[in-house]
Amino acid sequence: MAETAQWTPRSAWAGIAQPGTFGAAGRGGVTATLLEGHGLASLIAAPGGAEALARRVEQSLGLALPTAPRIVSGAGHDVIWSGPDQWLLRARSRGEMPSLIAELARYAAVSDQSDARAALRLSGPHLRDALAKGVMIDLHPAAFAVGDAAATSVAHLGVQLWRLPDAAEGPAFEIMVARSLAGSFWSWFAASAAEFGCRVVAGRG
Amino acid sequence: MRITCPYCGARDAQEFSYLGAADPVRPDGMAAAEAAMADYVYLRDNPAGPHRELWYHGSGCRSWLIVTRDTRTHAISAVEPAKVRKAGEAA
Repeated sequence: MAETAQWTPRSAWAGIAQPGTFGAAGRGGVTATLLEGHGLASLIAAPGGAEALARRVEQSLGLALPTAPRIVSGAGHDVIWSGPDQWLLRARSRGEMPSLIAELARYAAVSDQSDARAALRLSGPHLRDALAKGVMIDLHPAAFAVGDAAATSVAHLGVQLWRLPDAAEGPAFEIMVARSLAGSFWSWFAASAAEFGCRVVAGRG
Repeated sequence: MRITCPYCGARDAQEFSYLGAADPVRPDGMAAAEAAMADYVYLRDNPAGPHRELWYHGSGCRSWLIVTRDTRTHAISAVEPAKVRKAGEAA
């Protein structure tokens, strides 16, 4: 027990990715933001319990749980569809997770995933070109609208991704991968984005 | 081959795992006759044509699906969530 007090938090990207640039110089085709500091939990409603959970989330957070693969965002939280009657809940501030989880645990199976996923915000004029090397679904704006989300696989690694409103530098997505697979995912991403030139920055989730 | 998941949309078959025929029902273990259990375990149809089968969307929404696939052409005529059948809401 005593030794856990000496443990210090470690970023999911520590030792894997760090701010800087790589790949083709001067192109800046892709920007990757390493996301830190957010809280994350999975919500799984019991059979027949999705409506009660949705009412509670609406009351507490002002967010309507999506019933299709979408992300619904508010000022401090996002809810992301991740399967039938299953969602991810992200909070900008990790500190509120224990109370949020305790509250929602009366309505769903809730599991803290704050340290379990590695998250990236991706943007840039060549982002879709880089993603197309591994993402098997169509991310063209005609097929994948702002707010659409998907659970799929990239290079055999399970990921969840969703589209954000376009940024000044081009389209923008966020993508999450299991923390234990972050090194493998980064290996794929770095190889795929290098030809477009990639800038890596640290940011808040 | 692409399978149109009722939740996620059309996805590559590599996102899914195949289990087998969807329709055989396991006899009640303790009460089942030996012959009925042997039939369930060993004797499966091998149709050249439409086949109802279970697929698991493990890389997506983690749902079990019943896919009706023509074994000659891989043409898929129907995909439904397996839990609908389990709940007795559909065939």
